[in-house]
This record gives sequence, structure tokens and C-alpha cells, in this order.
Amino acid sequence: MRPFELTAPATVEDALAEPGTFLAGGTTLVDLMKLNVLTPQHVLDINALPLRGIDTSDGLRLGALERMGDIARHPGVYPAVSRALLQSASQQLRNMASIGGNLLQRTRCTYFRDVAMPCNRRDPGSGCPARSGANRMHAVLGTSDSCVATHASDVAVALIALDARVTLAGAGGTRTVELADFYRLPGDTPQVENDLRPGELITEVVVPRLDWAANSTYVKVRDRQSYEFALCSAAVALDVRDARIVDARVAVGGVATVPWRLRPVEAALRGAPVSQEAFESAAAVATEGAAPLSGNGFKLPLLRRTIVRALRELTEGSRA
Amino acid sequence: MTNRIDGPLKVTGRAQYGLDHNFPGMLYGYVVTSTIANGEIVAMDVTAAKSAPGVVAVYSPFDPLTLRRPNSPMLGETWVPLQDRDVAYYGQPVGFVVAQTYEQARDAAMLVEVSYAERPARTSLVDNLDLAEDGPPAMDGTPPTHAVLAPGVESIEDALAASPVVVEGTYSTATQNHAAMEPHSAVAVWDDDANDNDANDNDANDNDANDNDANDDDDTNNGLTIYSGNQGASFQQEDMAAALEVEPSSVHTINPFVGGAFGGKGSTSVPAFLAAAAARALGRPVKAALSREQVFTATANRAETLQKVALGADRDGTLIAVRHDSWCSAALDRSFVEQTSHTTSGEWYATRNLATTQKVVPLTIPRTTFMRAPGEAPGSFALESAMDELAVALDMDPIELRMRNSSTGPVGSDLQWSSKYLDDCYRIGAERFGWSQRSATGREDGDWLVGMGMASAFFPALRFPATTEITLRADDTAVVSVGGADPGTGLLTVMSLIGAESLDIAVERITPRLGRSAYPPGGLSGGSTATASVGSAIMVAASAVIDDLQALASAPGGPFEGQDVTYADGRVLAGGRSMTFGELLTALGRESVSATGSSAPGEELTKHSFSSFGAQFCEVRVHRWTREARVSRMLGVFDAGRIINEKAARSQLMGGMIWGVSAALHEGLEIEGNGRLANADLAGYLLPVNADIPEVDVHFVQHPDTLHNPVGARGVGEIGTVGMAAAVANAIHNATGIRVRHLPITIEDLLDDEVS
Repeated sequence: MRPFELTAPATVEDALAEPGTFLAGGTTLVDLMKLNVLTPQHVLDINALPLRGIDTSDGLRLGALERMGDIARHPGVYPAVSRALLQSASQQLRNMASIGGNLLQRTRCTYFRDVAMPCNRRDPGSGCPARSGANRMHAVLGTSDSCVATHASDVAVALIALDARVTLAGAGGTRTVELADFYRLPGDTPQVENDLRPGELITEVVVPRLDWAANSTYVKVRDRQSYEFALCSAAVALDVRDARIVDARVAVGGVATVPWRLRPVEAALRGAPVSQEAFESAAAVATEGAAPLSGNGFKLPLLRRTIVRALRELTEGSRA
Repeated sequence: MTNRIDGPLKVTGRAQYGLDHNFPGMLYGYVVTSTIANGEIVAMDVTAAKSAPGVVAVYSPFDPLTLRRPNSPMLGETWVPLQDRDVAYYGQPVGFVVAQTYEQARDAAMLVEVSYAERPARTSLVDNLDLAEDGPPAMDGTPPTHAVLAPGVESIEDALAASPVVVEGTYSTATQNHAAMEPHSAVAVWDDDANDNDANDNDANDNDANDNDANDDDDTNNGLTIYSGNQGASFQQEDMAAALEVEPSSVHTINPFVGGAFGGKGSTSVPAFLAAAAARALGRPVKAALSREQVFTATANRAETLQKVALGADRDGTLIAVRHDSWCSAALDRSFVEQTSHTTSGEWYATRNLATTQKVVPLTIPRTTFMRAPGEAPGSFALESAMDELAVALDMDPIELRMRNSSTGPVGSDLQWSSKYLDDCYRIGAERFGWSQRSATGREDGDWLVGMGMASAFFPALRFPATTEITLRADDTAVVSVGGADPGTGLLTVMSLIGAESLDIAVERITPRLGRSAYPPGGLSGGSTATASVGSAIMVAASAVIDDLQALASAPGGPFEGQDVTYADGRVLAGGRSMTFGELLTALGRESVSATGSSAPGEELTKHSFSSFGAQFCEVRVHRWTREARVSRMLGVFDAGRIINEKAARSQLMGGMIWGVSAALHEGLEIEGNGRLANADLAGYLLPVNADIPEVDVHFVQHPDTLHNPVGARGVGEIGTVGMAAAVANAIHNATGIRVRHLPITIEDLLDDEVS
């Protein structure tokens, strides 16, 4: 960690007026500062900003500084969102980490986190050791020659499945962006991870109302039972009537460079019967175009199986 | 059932570990580590680091602190840093930055630029088997290539060929790190700067309620005082003295509390050497600690192993031939060899024919060392998986197979086990665990596949020479002291219990003390030996101090002058009168009477073989679709002689069993081709969390083994981890039909064809 200047603006306007790196829960920023991966000279502690509130009266509106743990416990939060949060990190981290910060968390790629190693995301043009190195945890979807790192958030997967939007405040005013459009594929510029403009701040996360998302879940598959990142995860919401799937939302995590919506799987499910066969054939679409690396080929079948498992869990009792 | 007497101090944060000590003028050191695995340091640019805020000194191979390599008969040679420019593994300490604050030292360490002439790294065990060398003889003298053949049998291959049923498999286990909560660290203070130690070290004395050292003698002695977690004060004292070229008597080591060791703190650590040498050079106290990431490279790990096992049996399950060939990884200095074949297959089952080999493959990897059940833990994964495979091949119950091949002693040895109730462990375990409910193909519970597995556990019963001192005080309390360590094992409490029993007084009247080189040598925390070693020495010391007490009582001028004095219940008795020992001492105008007692292994070694035994059981659930394997319950039943403190012993065994689950499903250091560790932190190097460990049951079959030592206790520290990884793998096979022969077992190992 390098010495830095710390200020604590009290209003959004003040926060936007100063150049610097925003500090919310600190669970990513402080971690990466200790590793010298991030070396900001000026840190703005935004915890005093009035970006609070959990409103479930019409969909879901979340102040960007709401803590993951508080949102997870709040009644009326869609199950997929709540479960994704509860399976994230540890209780201690959930008590600190903000929802806005969660969406901006950096990848857990071992090379990104080690300044002794090259990394195109941290140091553009320096190379990507993960392509031939320890890549069991890495992505199979949305990858490029320059970067194969996974996006680590669980809740972003659930939010993307449910068409969430983020509200961004900047010096030039406020704008709203679909979360699905917010994240950028690495391409040739893996250092650009999202649509945030310099100095912009996430102020709110909004999930539009979707009543049948009461029938939603988040399945997370990992190497231990708690406090571990996903090898593969699936957020699924299903609208089931008379043993047929009327509509579906499916997004997956742990397998892609950004939280990954699977509209082709949704299309395959729409109108399908509630049956193991239909689930397997819809899940088979999930890995089209996937590009496994030397150590993570197992993620392709695992991804299909994770989707099948989520579909089975949502249709317990209504399956043929 | 006795609570740990240091428990309240630990859970309230008042126990002061090495790193918790602070002194006026203290400096902080931070270690710089290499970013290549093999080569030579050509240059180190320390200009920026030296001019960084607060920096006092930057040491490197170009500007070293002089240190000599200690060599101990038990632990071998200990590597010391900065003495040459060779780099033998990634993450090797190559520099040491000392500054006014920890943060300044850490920040400046990041500014050190190292240039290397790099040579190719060699990190894979399986890819470098052509470099294998014979290992050294095993602890019992067994050579690295060893065979016991029945009369008329020419070779183990002939014996296998003549066996009606044969199973063969190649097994591998991963490199592991001890990952103790307390990182390797030290605070070093030399006499000149220690003059005001005691005044400022008051909280150390305050909180050592168990350490009762107000009138201790060592804090202000001349020389070096070092506060650093270790596994035995005298070992660290000797290491430091040799490294710094001073007399052992001028090194005082203090470690009443150790935040986990598990074999990883037997040898003195890099921060201790560097802090002591820098403190001497700079004339100020120095504190140094490894970062969590550095603990994975700059200490030493458990070796990776590769093992080939072949078992030949008759159709009734009787073993005819056992062949076990082992390879282990080692650093280029070959400082430690993980002995997996002879330590398991050489002892566990009766067989007419046995052949074992032990090879070592030197690689450009961090050093290897003892880790909880060195040899037996990975070795048992191979042997006990193979036994399960044999049971499957024979269509026989795995417990029945093991009971059929019960050993009466090591294979080929005339010395029988002193006391062995392993069959009781199997029987009781099967009953408690509901083994009769197990089907050969597991069962289903919704979308979960459920299986049961078991394995045997052996760990040699050892003890080492130990000396203890007992002081009886005029206030009717007694102090029992030994230099050894209690890294969470419960030795301190055991000393109270055995002291109370030996002196025939209440346990509350015993003050146990350990963790200082000023105390008598002994009580190394290693080899599961501390209770037997220290306990036996306490019995001798108690007898000696009671003799002295009786002599004082009956001596001329004593209250029982000329009488035949006996001792019971903390009192001296003669002629119908009695006095407590405190009253006697008061009457004599004495504050105390002390005696030391020593005990060591001896003649018993020529009469019997000694081991602890156990049976491990576990139930594993594997998800039909996503294939996670989760342990749902486990049980260990152990024959470890007499159990001194059942509560602490149970904790020790639970910890060992959890460690076995960890080895089975979680832990494994991934060493990349260039030598870098891909997962050297606690986010990447997985240990089980509470959610992974639902239910652990421990049961003892208690038969005191007084043929081994007067206390009758054998060790419990390590046997808990032995066999458990195999029990997990065997349960996974039972649940899924999939046999995994490597550790850790992860999801990709268990994918089947159900959803392609």
C-alpha cells in the first residue's frame, strides 16, 4: 500500500467535484491497495453520502451504499437476488460491502492480483499469463486473446437476469444504463471494464417489477460450501403455468468475463414443458460459442448442469 | 473433562503471542521475496527503498546480515537467508527492509528492484521422475528400498503374480501449507536495548496468568531475548545461538502461546533470524512477520507425493503381497523427505510379502518439512484407498477385510504392538456410525448421492527425552515447568493434570509453565510426543521433590525429626501427625523446594513396537447434477492409550479429522511451471469453513499403555488426520462409483455422463 490522501465528502455534489477513487465498503479497494494493484493518490470515502434505501414497493430500488447483508435480509427482495447475496463472500464482508461497490468489484484472477506478473487488465499490453497458466477458475464465455478473467459478482448475475438498471451521477448530470449494457467485454481493452465515465458514481440500482420473479433462485457451485467464488452459477426465474414454461430469465456467473445473460436458453425454455428433457435441451444451448482453456473445460458441462439444477429446484413438485 | 487453562486468555484476546510484544524504539522488518524459481541474483537496486520514508536499513545478499546455518540432530540443517545470491524457489527471501513502522517497511520493500540471471524452473513432480534419488532411511532405519519376502518367494512381483486377486493403483497428493493462524514472526531484543524491557513489557507479565513469571530470571539477562512462536524453546535457542554465533545460554526464547505450528514451526523461521541479526546490527529491537502470502513460500510445505500401490490377496481377503513405491517432491536442498510407503504399508497389515521404496525428486520449489502426520497422512490416502479397491474387487466389507489382515507388529519385525485395540475401534465405530446401513452402491436422497467410507489410522507412539522441574511452594501450590511448547495442543493443561495426579493435590493448585528456554529442556511439540514425554518426566520430578520434602521433614531440626515420613494428599505424615507441604516449608522457614526429573525412552524399545490406532468413518453427499462432494458426518474411534484430558484430546482429533477432509476436498498448492504459486493466499488456497464440517464424532477406546511410558498415554496430535482423506475418497466411490486417486478431489473429477 502506498500513502494516499483521504477525504470524506458529505454530498454527491462534493463527491463528484473532487478527482479521486471512491471508497464505499472497501472490500475490493483496500484489498487491492494492500497488494499494490491499485495505488490511488486520493481516496474519497463516500459512506456519508445519502445513497441509502431499500424499496420493494414497485420492483426493487436500492441506494448504492446499501450493504449486501441488509439487502439480502430485506423482505420482498426477489429470491434470486437475496440468495445470490447470501451466497457471496462471508457475513463480515456482506456487512461492509455496498451494492454499488459489488457491481464494480474487480476480477479475482490470480495474475491481476499479483503485480509481479503481467496482466493486460492491470497493465495494458503486458500480456496474459492466464491463457497458458493457472486458469481453472477462468472464463469460457466472452473471452478474448487479451483477457480471460471472470467477473466475480454473484448478485450482478441475478440483477442482469432481472433486467436491472443502474443510475449514474456525473459532473454532467444523471443517466440510467441497463446493467446488461453497463459491463464491457474485454476485447482488446480489458482495462475498460464498464461504461462508467471518469468521476461518475453509481447512485442507485433499480430492478423493474416482475411478479413471477417470486419464483426465482440462484444456484452457486463452488469448491467449498461457503466463502468461495463460483466455479459456475445460475440465476433463474421461471413463469410456470399448467406444467409449461411461459417465460424465463437465465443468467450465469463464474464462467464469463461479465455477468452473462443467456437469452438463447430463455428462448428455448419459453413454451417448453416442465420436464428434465426440456431442461437439458435448453441448457445445451448455454455453452454455444464457449471457448475452454487448458484447465477449465469442465465448466462447459458444469454450466449446463448448473442450469438444469436451478430449473429443477424451481419446478420441484410441478415436474412431470 | 478439563477446560484448557489458557482458554479464557485466548478467547478474550489477552494471550500475548510473539508478535504482540512491543518495545520502545522498536523497528519493523519486512521480507523481500524472489520472483523467479531458479537462478542467481545479478543485482539489487535498493536506492529507492533506502530513501523511502522511515527506512533505517535494507539488507540483501550484497549487504547481508551474517548468519550461520544451524544444524540440529533432530531437525537437520536450517536454511538462513541472504547469505548468497542463489535463488532456489519462487518466493525465497532475498531482502529485508527495516523501517520505523510496519507500513513504511512494507512500502519500501515494494521498491526494491531485483535483477536475475534466470535458469529454467523445474517444478512438476510427475514430469521429473527421472531425477528421482533414493530417500534416506526411515526413522526406524528401514532403507529406501526394502523387502520382506516369504521363504521361497523370489520377488514381490512373483508374490503378486501368485495372488488370486490383485489391485493396483497410482495415487497422488498435493503440496500443502500448514496455514497456521499465527504467521511466522518474531520480536528480537538484545541486552543493551533490553535494559528497559521489563518496565515496558509489563503487559506480557500481566497477562501470563499461567506463566507466573514475576520472579523469572531471563528477561534481563545479557544476550538476545526472542519472542517467536516455535515448537520447543530449546530448539529455537540452539538455532538462534548457532546462527548468530553466540552461546546458547545468552539466547532467551519466550513463547508461552503459539498460534498453530503443525510441524511448520519446528525449524526457526526467516523472520526470527533476520529480526535477531538486524536488531544486533542496529542496536534496537526489531519486529518482523511474514505476510500471509509469504508464509506459503518463505517457510516450508508438505511435499507433493506420487505413490504406486499393488495389493495381492487370497479370495478370502488374506493379503499375500503388498508393494508400495513412493516419490515425493523436495526443494533442491533435499532438506526433508515425506516418507509415505514404509510408514504405512510397512506396518499396518499382516502380509507374507512386502516391498517398499522411497524416492525423492529435487525441484525448484519452496522447502518441504514436517506437517501433521508427515508420511502417514499422504501415505494412508494411497494404502487405504487401495484397501477399499481390494474390498470392492473381493466384494467384501472394507472393515472385514481390514480385520482379516490385522497386524501384530510391523511387517517382518519380532517386536509386537505393546497394546492394540484396533478391532474394537472398527466394531465400535461401525456400530456408532450405522455402518450396517451402508450398501455397496450408496443411496440417494433427492438429488444427492450419499455414500459411506472408512479407513484405518495408525501413528507411531513415540516419546523424546524430557526434563521438568517441580517447585513446591509455602502457599501449598506447585509450579511445574518445561521448555516445550503448547501450540494449541493442550500441553499446558496436561501438565496441570499430571502434576496434580503425581503430587496428589488438586489441579487448581498447580501452576504449569512452558515456552521458555530458561525452563528445563523437553516437551517438543512434534511427533505427537509431548504428553508421554513431559508427563513421564513430571512423574519422575514429582517423586524426586516428594523425596526431598520427606528428607526435609525428617532431617535434624525438622518437625518430623528422625521419623519415617510418608506423603499423601499433599501432606507429609508421621507418627499420627500430618502437615501440608506448605505448612512444612513454612515451619522450616523456606519459600519452596524444587527438584527436576528426567525421562527418556529406553529398554522398552527392545521389547515392543508402539503405535496409536484408529478407525475413521465418513458420509459424503455428492450432488447428482453439479457434483459437489460435501462431508455430512464423520466419526473417528481411537485407541491412543490413556487419554489425559478427554476434552482437549477430542479437539485435537477433531482438528486432525477436519484436516483430513481438507486434504481430501480442498487443500492443494498449485505450483506453476515458472515456480510461482498460483494460489498462495487464503482466498486461493482453500481450507474448509464451518459449513463444510457439519458433524464430527470422536470416541476413545481407552487402554493405558504403560509398556510405552509410565503415564500410559500415546499421542493424539496427528493420528486424527491419518486415513481421513481415504475415508472421504472411499465414501465418494460408494456414492458415485467414481474412484479418484488424487487429492484434492474436486468437482471436475466427479462429472459423469449423465448430462453431457
